[in-house]
Amino acid sequence: MLRQIWIVSALNFKSLRSRFWQSMVIVVGLAATVGVMLSMLSVSAGMRQAYYASGDPNRAIVVTKGVEQEPQSSIARAQAPLIAVAPGIAKDKDGKPLVDRTLMTSVPLLRKDGSKGFTTMRGLSDKGLGVRPEIKIVQGRMFQAGKRELIAGVGAQTMFRHMQLGDKVILPDGEWPIVGIYATGDQLEGQLLGDTETLITTLKKPAYTTMLVRLASPGSLDTFKKAMTTNPALSVDVVRHSDWYKRVGDQNAFGLALLGYVVGTVMAIGALFGCLNTMYSAVSNRGREIATLRALGYDAFPVAVSVILEAMLLSVAGALIGAGIAWAMYDGKLDLFGNVIFHLSVSPHQIELGVIWAAAVALLGGLFPSIRAARRPVVEALRAT
Amino acid sequence: MKYLPLVWASIMRKPTRAILTLLSVMLAFTLFGLTIGMNATFAKVQADARDDRIFAFARFGGAVPIALERQIESMPGVEKVASSSFVGGYIQEPKNRVFVNVMDENIPKVLPEYPITPQQWQLIRDTRQGILVSKMQADRWHLKVGDTVTIVSPATKKLDGTNSWIFKVVAVTPDMSIFGQGYMFGNYDYMDKARLLSDQGKTGQFRVKVSDPSKTAEIAERIVSNFANSSTPLESITEKVAFDVSTGTGMDIASVDREVALAGMFMVLFLTANGLAQAVRERFAEFATLKTIGFSDNGVVALVFAEAAIPCLLGAGLGIGLAAIISHVMPKFLPPGQGLPIPTMSVMVFVWAFICAGVVALISAGLPALRLKQMDIATALSGR
Repeated sequence: MLRQIWIVSALNFKSLRSRFWQSMVIVVGLAATVGVMLSMLSVSAGMRQAYYASGDPNRAIVVTKGVEQEPQSSIARAQAPLIAVAPGIAKDKDGKPLVDRTLMTSVPLLRKDGSKGFTTMRGLSDKGLGVRPEIKIVQGRMFQAGKRELIAGVGAQTMFRHMQLGDKVILPDGEWPIVGIYATGDQLEGQLLGDTETLITTLKKPAYTTMLVRLASPGSLDTFKKAMTTNPALSVDVVRHSDWYKRVGDQNAFGLALLGYVVGTVMAIGALFGCLNTMYSAVSNRGREIATLRALGYDAFPVAVSVILEAMLLSVAGALIGAGIAWAMYDGKLDLFGNVIFHLSVSPHQIELGVIWAAAVALLGGLFPSIRAARRPVVEALRAT
Repeated sequence: MKYLPLVWASIMRKPTRAILTLLSVMLAFTLFGLTIGMNATFAKVQADARDDRIFAFARFGGAVPIALERQIESMPGVEKVASSSFVGGYIQEPKNRVFVNVMDENIPKVLPEYPITPQQWQLIRDTRQGILVSKMQADRWHLKVGDTVTIVSPATKKLDGTNSWIFKVVAVTPDMSIFGQGYMFGNYDYMDKARLLSDQGKTGQFRVKVSDPSKTAEIAERIVSNFANSSTPLESITEKVAFDVSTGTGMDIASVDREVALAGMFMVLFLTANGLAQAVRERFAEFATLKTIGFSDNGVVALVFAEAAIPCLLGAGLGIGLAAIISHVMPKFLPPGQGLPIPTMSVMVFVWAFICAGVVALISAGLPALRLKQMDIATALSGR
């Protein structure tokens, strides 16, 4: 049986050249479908990845009960000490709890093209680097606590003007110099960092935004969470940092991902009809050859399978071309959406998705023609001109 | 016209092929309708944006004291200032996200083009908890006039210690293109007085109307510089700039839409061109016969073009129609409260679709037409 499938398929593939342009309908159709879909998904996937990378299972974030996004949260200054003494928090070598009192605000900047844009300015408190060891200074130095200084992420540096070492950012009480450039490998790179206490005074903010704590061990989340949620003085949610960013990433990328899938689906159905068209005429053109094979004793099944295999080969080739174009055009490109800066991504996982998409189109697009090919009475097909 | 049956017979000679081609073309134009329709929505929002208005808000995030409203209004060249804030939350479950934009009493004067009558605006003044709900939102949450709706807003705490905001529907109003998924408008004063004392007297943003549209950008700059050293520095953006999608994010969504539409067209072009070339090849001898009985070169070419144009134009019409249906039902299936834009099937979308369909037909017919023109009748008739 396998041998028969192989022989019939080989025969088909050898005759592909004579049906070159017609077969290209499938290739081009799927290349366009997968290319467009992956290009669009590169935005949502890149954004999601940047968020996912920001989370750490060894950290927990404390936010106002019920809020879904960090900026909506607000933790009163008086509540900060209550959180810092809770059990389950990792301690530094001096025995101080690793708690980062975070302040988040947006700051207007000029984009590289001169238009106005915004990014997030984040306050990091004294234990900030202990909680977030992924922050690596790549140029200059870290800001000093109590001083009116900022450090800028490498992403912010790429997207905005005046983000070089020594440049100044205007805040309410004057110009703050950028004393360092940092990298993290996640969406934090698109932001500006400064000292929480200095920022909160300067910006006259009534409260901290969130608290980020390093857990004693990944398993101590429950201990910490229990202490937080049973404390009547607090009305907060405690979420593992990685889970938090997974949710935020999924939520913020949802609309974009949906758009990509809708467009991909509409195009795939269009390509499916193209595929059916091509395969039907391929089958009818080769009616006599197929009938001859059947007369020689070949089963209907290998004939049917070979038709689907042909559609599969052409579709997957198209999908790979489309994915290749999307990858070459977008993968790794830095983009700004809202005030999140991230790298567009066409990952192997998405290319796989594109290929699966194409294979599904080919399966459906080859199925009905293959049934027709297999069912056609031999005598009738042989007589046909 | 009298040749229409002939063209039709040619198309329907292989019904499967004809129908599949039509469906393929239709879907490509559905995509075309959705993407170019999305751009039409952006263009409409951009065109509707007034050149005499400015948004002003806190430069470093957070709320602004409402007292600044009077200060901005006293600036030369400013005609009127209104303010709005919002209560963001959900109905029953966190996934049912909703926003109530709470407006102060000056909003009707600054936003006169909103499809809300003075009587309706008055309703939210008379009933403090009143909200105007747009048709789309009313359908989405099954609300009618007189209904009470509770919105849980984790970020906006109330004086009574809860965060459940109770609103009463006082009118159902028409939708607007800038609110793709509809809107709810409430009373700022109710919201302000009901929340924590420490949050009272603050608002989200100001809508500034200037008297001379040519000075809008200048006044926007002046708002920023005037308040640069105040306790709440302000940032401003003119409405024209704020409503321009190409400046809203790092990427130009409108051009992405065009590229997607183009990819669809390319796919269709390939398909129809191939189909037609094949059809003409199969019927080569027949075309020779037509020529023999006196059809001119141009006559035969016209027949081929018609054979290409009918599925293209028909597919374009059906595709845009399907896109219109999808745009109509889409708001019901989208997650609420994300502010996703809904495509508009404007006249320009139709015009562009038919132009594209015509171009596709023309190019598809080109090569086969050339072959027909150059054909040697005797050879073709003999079937060689």
